[in-house]
Amino acid sequence: MKKTTIIFAAAIIIGAFVLTSAAFTVDQTQQAIVIQLGRPIGDKALGPGLHFKLPVVQTVVFFDARILDFDAKPEEITTTDKKYMNVDSYTKWKIIDPLTFYTKVRTIQGARARLDDIVRSQLRVALGRYTLIEVVSHKRQEIMDMVTERSKELLMPYGIEVLDVRIKRTDLPAENARSIYGRMKAERERQAKQYRSEGQEASAKIKANADKERAIILADAGKQAEIIRGEGDAQATKVYADALGQSPDFYEFTRSLEAYRQGFDKNTRFILTPKSPFLKHLQ
Amino acid sequence: MNWDWDKLQKQQQGRPGGKPPSFDDFQEQFDKLKRFKLPGWKLVLPILVLLWIASGFYIVEPDEVGVVKQFGKFNRVTTAGPNYHIPYPVESVLTPKVTQIRRVEFGFRSVGRPLTQSFQQGVSREVKEESLMLTGDENIVSVQFIVQYLIKDAEHYLFNVNDPEQTLAHAGEAAMREVIGNGKIDDALTTGKQEIQVQTRELMQRILDNYQTGLSVVAVQMQNVHPPDEVIEAFKDVASAREDKSRFINEAEAYQRDILPKARGEASRIVNAGLAYKEAKVRRSEGDAARFLAVLTEYNKAKDITRERLYLETMEALLSNPDTEKLVMSDDALKQSVPYLPLDKQPRRVAPKEAQ
Repeated sequence: MKKTTIIFAAAIIIGAFVLTSAAFTVDQTQQAIVIQLGRPIGDKALGPGLHFKLPVVQTVVFFDARILDFDAKPEEITTTDKKYMNVDSYTKWKIIDPLTFYTKVRTIQGARARLDDIVRSQLRVALGRYTLIEVVSHKRQEIMDMVTERSKELLMPYGIEVLDVRIKRTDLPAENARSIYGRMKAERERQAKQYRSEGQEASAKIKANADKERAIILADAGKQAEIIRGEGDAQATKVYADALGQSPDFYEFTRSLEAYRQGFDKNTRFILTPKSPFLKHLQ
Repeated sequence: MNWDWDKLQKQQQGRPGGKPPSFDDFQEQFDKLKRFKLPGWKLVLPILVLLWIASGFYIVEPDEVGVVKQFGKFNRVTTAGPNYHIPYPVESVLTPKVTQIRRVEFGFRSVGRPLTQSFQQGVSREVKEESLMLTGDENIVSVQFIVQYLIKDAEHYLFNVNDPEQTLAHAGEAAMREVIGNGKIDDALTTGKQEIQVQTRELMQRILDNYQTGLSVVAVQMQNVHPPDEVIEAFKDVASAREDKSRFINEAEAYQRDILPKARGEASRIVNAGLAYKEAKVRRSEGDAARFLAVLTEYNKAKDITRERLYLETMEALLSNPDTEKLVMSDDALKQSVPYLPLDKQPRRVAPKEAQ
């Protein structure tokens, strides 16, 4: 009883020791390689889960299995139209072959140095072929694809897969920005002037048109009024002619008398001779 | 000295464990311990095991999912409610909040407000190096925007990318700059905002899906979009110039609307004056004609006497005027007198009547 208890306890203690130093878990976010006295064992990395190794002689090195980020420092780059721009890019990458990765670059730091060298020079080469405006706008995707493709090839031998090189910021150096501000200002001033003069143009057109219409309206009215007056005159003339034509003699006589009344009403000196019919009874 | 020693021995015997214990004592103590502890173990061990088993219970809140790893390897996803996993060290569980909508600010940072609260146009600080962007027509515009996102796939979110939030921030900047770079400054400043938001959201989602971040972009919302401070005055002046333009046009239309009705009124006055003249003239002539014809009828009945009467009445009227100078001369006297017309002596007092 006593003996078996002691053996049992010892077995448990030894078993636990062996187990804890032999078993290891790899997290879902990790991958691992086993190294036996400095030499990697096997030709495949270990995925997530429970694994075993020989205690003491074998050690485990863990690597991140996730997509990692490499945020490069902004860099001044010259475009083909001799303009300068600060390009800020980031690279998404991943350790796909931990064995190679371990032997070639060993750490994330080492990988960053490689990425920096390669991505930077690829960006420089690609951006140098385009003009600034192409980089900023419609060629952006193409450039990024090209850099991604080339970087991927060049970094494959290090056990690194480049998933995406993406241009984050494209900024202009301060002095170029100033000249752009100057141009923007000039453009806006031009536009403001244009708006104002267009307003004045439209205003003048509307006013002139209104003046013209007013003149036409008034002239039309004048014309119509004269036509109406003429009609009145003509009708009156006809009425007079119809009536007076019945006795031109009498009209002549009465009209003459009327004219005398009107013509000789004041300050007139009459010299009458006795022969005047008016004085025939005076003799 | 002996007495001292005895005294000391007595004192030490009084203290527990003061005397170095003999082997027999130890054996006795050990046996006691064995006897004492064994029933204890029988009780404590099951309790410990039960506690260990109980530690596998966990609760997933309604806004969370449970992601269970078995020896570090992803095993299953559990939904809201009480759940169980095999206790440490076999299984472990992570519970990310998947329904919570998070937000990131680009180009500005809110001041004195928790990040989870929805945006209010309030106190914020512009971050120029993030907000200033080049447009496709080589202008610079300041764009401030927020991105709302949530975790759509907890497994991808937890295991695929080493910093999903940082990745989202990078993708947001890259996407917005790409979209702004493809457009013109006026699109960003005026009518193109909606389109830019949609395109940026789509592009961001594409980038994030490409990395399998497990994040879903709910919305991209542009906040404050304005020209850089250096040129903002010129832009404002364009806006006021546009206002001036419509003001000029409105003023001209007001002028037009003022003078044309007046002219139409005036025209109506002119035409009516013509009509009045016509009607008056015609009626006058009709009246005159009627009067003449009436007189003529009577004249035809007694021609001579009427003629004589009319003549005499006229002469009478003329000569009865006291201002009229009358002079009766014989023909002979008239022949002998020298006609003399004193034009200067008789200024005319009245304007002459128009001759018939």
